[in-house]
Amino acid sequence: MSDAIRKPLLDRTLALLAAPFLLGRQAIEAITPVVEPPRPALRPVPIPPPEHAVKRRG
Amino acid sequence: MHTEPSAHALPEALIEPSLTVGRVTPGSLDDQVLAFPETPPPRQWYIGLAITLSALFTGLGFIGWTFYKGIGAWGNNSPVFWAFDIINFVFWVGIGHAGTLISAILFLFRKRWRNAIARFAEAMTIFAVMCAVIFPLIHVGRPWVAFWLFPYPNQRALWTNFRSPLLWDVFAVNTYFSVSLMFWYLGLIPDIASMRDRTTSKLRRAIYTALAMGWRGAASHWQHYEKAYLLLAGLATGLVLSVHSVVSFDFATSVVPGWHMTIFPPYFVAGAIFAGFSMVVIVLVVVRETMQLKNLITMRHLDVMNKVILAMSCIMAYSYMMEGFTAWYSMNEYLHHGFMNIITGTYGWAGWITISCNIFIPQLLWFKKCRSSYFWMIFVAIGVTIGMWFERFVIIVISLHQDYLPSAWRIYKPTMTDFGILLGTFGLFFTLVLIFARVLPVIATTEVKAILPDAQPSHGDSHE
Amino acid sequence: MKTQLPDHGPVEAPRFWRTLDERVETLEARQAAHDEFLPGAVPSYDDVHGLPPQPSNSRRDFLGLVSAAAALAATVACDRKPQGTVVPYTKRPVEVVPGVANYYASAYQEGRRVYPVLVKTREGRPIHITGNDEHPGVKGKTSPRAMADVLRLYDPDRLRAPKADGRVVAWPEAESRLAVALRGAKAAGKPILLFTGAVVSPTRKALLADLKAALPTLQHLAYEPASGDGAEEAARASYGQSVEVLPRLAKAKVILSLGADFLNGEDPEALAAWGAQRRLKTAKDPINRLWVLEGPLTLTGTNADQRLPVPPSRLAAVAFALARELAAHGLKLPAGADRSALPAGLPKGVDLPAATWSGLVKDLQHAGRNAVVLCGAQMPAEAHQAAHLLNAMLGSEALALVPAEPLATVKDLEAAVQAMAAGQPAVAIFWDVNPAYTYPRAAAWKAALAKVPFRAWIGLVEDETSAQCHLALPEHHWLESWGDATTPGAAVLRQPTVGALYDSRQGEDVLLGALRALGAATAEDGHAYLRARWEKGVLQGASFDQALHDGLVKTTASPAAPAFRGASVAAAAKRATQPTAEGLELVLFPGFATFDGRHANNSWLQETPDPVTKMTWDNPVSVSVQDAKALGIQEGDFVTLTLEGTTLTVPAVIQPGQAKGVLALALGYGRTTGGVAKGVGNDAYPLLGLDPTTANVRPGVRLAKGVGRKDLSRTQSHHRMEGRDLVRSLTMDEYAHNPQGHHHMPELVSLYEEQKFPDHKWGMVIDLAACVGCSACVVACQSENNVPVVGPEQVAKGREMHWIRIDRYYEGELENPKVVHQPMLCQHCDSAPCENVCPVNATNHSPDGLNQMAYNRCVGTRYCANNCPYKVRRFNFLEYTAYKTEPETLAYNPEVTVRPRGVMEKCSFCVQRINDVKIRAKGEGRPVQDGEVTTACMAGCPSDAIVFGDLKDPKSRVAQLVGISRAYRVLEEVGAKPAITYLADLRNPAVEGGTHAH
Repeated sequence: MSDAIRKPLLDRTLALLAAPFLLGRQAIEAITPVVEPPRPALRPVPIPPPEHAVKRRG
Repeated sequence: MHTEPSAHALPEALIEPSLTVGRVTPGSLDDQVLAFPETPPPRQWYIGLAITLSALFTGLGFIGWTFYKGIGAWGNNSPVFWAFDIINFVFWVGIGHAGTLISAILFLFRKRWRNAIARFAEAMTIFAVMCAVIFPLIHVGRPWVAFWLFPYPNQRALWTNFRSPLLWDVFAVNTYFSVSLMFWYLGLIPDIASMRDRTTSKLRRAIYTALAMGWRGAASHWQHYEKAYLLLAGLATGLVLSVHSVVSFDFATSVVPGWHMTIFPPYFVAGAIFAGFSMVVIVLVVVRETMQLKNLITMRHLDVMNKVILAMSCIMAYSYMMEGFTAWYSMNEYLHHGFMNIITGTYGWAGWITISCNIFIPQLLWFKKCRSSYFWMIFVAIGVTIGMWFERFVIIVISLHQDYLPSAWRIYKPTMTDFGILLGTFGLFFTLVLIFARVLPVIATTEVKAILPDAQPSHGDSHE
Repeated sequence: MKTQLPDHGPVEAPRFWRTLDERVETLEARQAAHDEFLPGAVPSYDDVHGLPPQPSNSRRDFLGLVSAAAALAATVACDRKPQGTVVPYTKRPVEVVPGVANYYASAYQEGRRVYPVLVKTREGRPIHITGNDEHPGVKGKTSPRAMADVLRLYDPDRLRAPKADGRVVAWPEAESRLAVALRGAKAAGKPILLFTGAVVSPTRKALLADLKAALPTLQHLAYEPASGDGAEEAARASYGQSVEVLPRLAKAKVILSLGADFLNGEDPEALAAWGAQRRLKTAKDPINRLWVLEGPLTLTGTNADQRLPVPPSRLAAVAFALARELAAHGLKLPAGADRSALPAGLPKGVDLPAATWSGLVKDLQHAGRNAVVLCGAQMPAEAHQAAHLLNAMLGSEALALVPAEPLATVKDLEAAVQAMAAGQPAVAIFWDVNPAYTYPRAAAWKAALAKVPFRAWIGLVEDETSAQCHLALPEHHWLESWGDATTPGAAVLRQPTVGALYDSRQGEDVLLGALRALGAATAEDGHAYLRARWEKGVLQGASFDQALHDGLVKTTASPAAPAFRGASVAAAAKRATQPTAEGLELVLFPGFATFDGRHANNSWLQETPDPVTKMTWDNPVSVSVQDAKALGIQEGDFVTLTLEGTTLTVPAVIQPGQAKGVLALALGYGRTTGGVAKGVGNDAYPLLGLDPTTANVRPGVRLAKGVGRKDLSRTQSHHRMEGRDLVRSLTMDEYAHNPQGHHHMPELVSLYEEQKFPDHKWGMVIDLAACVGCSACVVACQSENNVPVVGPEQVAKGREMHWIRIDRYYEGELENPKVVHQPMLCQHCDSAPCENVCPVNATNHSPDGLNQMAYNRCVGTRYCANNCPYKVRRFNFLEYTAYKTEPETLAYNPEVTVRPRGVMEKCSFCVQRINDVKIRAKGEGRPVQDGEVTTACMAGCPSDAIVFGDLKDPKSRVAQLVGISRAYRVLEEVGAKPAITYLADLRNPAVEGGTHAH
């Protein structure tokens, strides 16, 4: 719940204002679809397991 | 002037002083009062509006900042979880009480002097409650879910907590606002109808027609009007006593030492009337001078209101003394400490401002000279406004900052955002007052017409 | 579209029906009911109205989208997290079961201390550290800093890849550079300086020996700035070798502390023994007695039965005079000790009442073998030597003298600096040390080090030392490493609890790599090296895996205690009685949060208040009440400290109980590297002395009032109880005769029905006699419950978020007050004032006695916090979660919600742990046992002061403790009916009201 700071009021106002823009974009995409090349996934810190370690209890 | 009594002459002292100055006919009354909505405002009005609007927008900016950052933008901390937010809320709700008392209670008591000032006072109530209502909405940590304070049907089967005084506040303030609004609007209908009938502008006629709701001045209309007015006055009367009592329950039902006292409901109601009348005096002095309404809002009106202020000041003095007595008599170390804090603690200066502005300074109003002098009555009224704000500061901040466990004691410091929002509410209040003064009739012409000398058929020395 | 229903045979008539068809139960009706919500069952708008089907993006769709957008914008009622992707394991690592925690045994080292721990990991991430319950010494307890170190694993400032000359390089290149430099130095016969911390690991010691064999010119300095050079010098003088003096307080009836802060949380075993001695159930139970003679007020001093302020420079003289008195009372001086060298009376300037002095002498004399004298690590060497003498005279059995690896002192560092300045060494390697910061003459160090041709650094976070090094090699955190250590009673193992997060290596691996490059045949990595040694040595046939499982192998052999050299007394006594310089005396002690500075980047520790001053995020100088009055200093005023040309400007706090003429300043602040640590507090290391016998106690300091005041970041600003019945402290006399004092409980009348608790009723008992105020519970709670850190400005405003706090009050005269501690947390009141007043019902009482907080429902009106008489509720005034980003957010406990801005939070009695146990018990079909549920604070408390359990179970510990004579509740007269019972603190002074401790 914490990774992004949430600003609900801002979100909703922007949603209301952005709706026409988004619809327009959808309209354009229906006419001339744009294909985006796949982006490499951003990996966060990987959590590898410990090697050879013995746990006390699971 | 009343007609001379037929049989025996009344001593001069028993002759009720006139409520209007000079010759006032219904026609001249209409022309005088209804001229304001009909004419464009002078330059000073625009200057005034510019000032109040800038205060208002400053406040809105700081409220926006608060939404953006969180309650941390204010000075609130642990243990002072409530500070300017609730001080301002109680302050504004309190100021609203004068209007309803004048409109409703004095109506039921048949005090004819209220007629000239009731409209403006009731308008001030509505504006004050609007300022007050801002605070419960913005002081919550998550204002985007503030609507959870209302018991609306939902699929989670969740009810609000009806045992919480904050919820009683929700109902009380909402009731107060809606009843006051209806009451005020009802009184406006005949006047708006007058404006509808007088105006030449097509646009205005359309608006006034809509607002006047088809008022023709027929006898049946008047009958309904009087009944409705009486009913609403009765409802509003209860509210004068209950709303601020419920607001006081926010404090009185808690366990905080210095809050948990049974004197709070009457103490708060008296304080509200006190602060409200002071604000009304300030505004009416300005109104009667700038709008040339001296013949309708007479010095007698101001004199009587000042007497009410003085009476409330005495009740406040009694309340403070009772607080002190209770603190001593209770043998409760927490309460005793809390009371000593008011006099000699870190915030003792606020305690002394409160006592001086609320008790000592208003005693000037014992003197007729002060009650008739603009300077002194405004001096006292501003003093009371400041004093009553500080009284809520004393109640909230002083009691909270040092309560049961000394390890939790902390100093509270307000931030610029706190002050900015307070300024913004003053901006809102006076903006609304200024707009009201030029858009709607500030005096209830219908009601004043009813108390003009020629208005009622005279039966000797009987009064209606 | 119609589907065929399988034939289930006759169906009995339903009791409720929705359509007539259903009532009559025709086949069509059942078919229609079955079809009702199948995809395709609902015809589209076009189908229904017989219109030709439209292509996508028709006007209808457009209008639909517009209205949907408007509706969505207006009605998004709950603040949803931006959608991410949750991807389950496709190939799950064998040991990781999502939702089930794994526990690994490991060991943490700080200075010379070893902390056997148990590390809780979730989904592979270590999230919580407690003590290793299998270890016979610590028995499941550990220190606050050990618990907090899990956050350092996720320190965003960790070096993630090797760096050479500031650029990131690959390991082969870095290793080859190191090898080249070492080979060069070996060939040229030039010295190689290796600086490390204390060596407590036999494996590491063996590795260093191997390294020395391969590099004959290797000079190894093991330097710990916080260990106290005076202690090291004194041990060499008194015993001829480096010795660790470990208290064994289980046997101690009388403890004399000479500035020894042994109760401050660093020694869980001492605290466990202390707790065992102080948790009396009746007044007749035996209790020990603690005498404290010290300058600054330490945490141990606050718990003393009898405390006397004595400047640290005079402690040795007092102790030697005590030895002389004891000799006069029949205790024999050790061979070689000359009685005439001992001072005859108390030194000048130290006034102890005669009755108190004779009480102390008598106590020690009567206790004999059961008495122990402990000396604070930072105290001057002669004070330590006096303590050694006294222990030898008493024949004390309450301590263990354990030979230890020698530590370098500041004098050795100075010699190294001179050698470097002379250009002698060719290579300098720093492994987990930071002398650029801790050596008092920073400029001299920098200039001297610059002359060394090759400098390498191995560590966790780039610091002041690595800034000057050619090679910066990232080291594994201990949670990612293999290792071992020796503790009395067991050899402990350290194993990785998580794979390496970054491209780092264990220090051992780097050195093994270097050894291989030098041609020595050796194991391939630290793990193999360790295992080989263990299988040859300690294990003696036992299974290595079993040792890893337990985290230790018990050992019985205890090394022989070295003998005390009586001849060392004379010189020490002479030093002790020398007159001191004019001016104030400054004591430099390791900060509670930072230790020697290594933890300065740990925000949990920086925000945990110092148990005595309640300061966070800063190290003000403590000034005694008398000195502050004389100089006109108020709390927070800036002051300047001047000593031998070095001036420091710091804020001041007034410290009641501190001896007149003594100043105290914490080390470990004023760092210049580290995102959290930078700029926090003031660097006190420049004031450290170069004379190892008294490096941390510096006479001759001048103090002057400076300009301005600082708003102190203190979690407590009022220190008196104001006569209120909050913390009860009884002398043993009072306990025996009148444990409830003059407090009478008024009868509580309620209009409401009492709530019934059908199954469990959770309650807690906190024994104030065992609580020393070490704040381990605070750190444990923060770690377990994802309590946010708010930073110094917010703490100064009064918005710290700790769910449990330790209230510390001074009683009596401020020059030498009685000090009491009280952990204060949500009392889970049965008649909670907070529950009534929440307008949205976000807080209510559970059927098992918990005051619950529903974070999702809280709108944040804060009425509950106002109405809490204990002020234990915490409000998220700002978005405090924004202060932590990945990777630090990996330390969060996934079982506890992280609260956003605008929401109230407070102690939940670790409801996640309660539910965990209840679920497990239910699954196993058995009731919950007493002691199975441990709250984080209870598990973390080293002296077992906190007991949690089911009050409805008459056999539970809580139920039994609630009724004893010294039990009471705080603010009972408010009528909140708290579920936490406190047991009054006990003091056992020798004079007036104590008992003789035999």
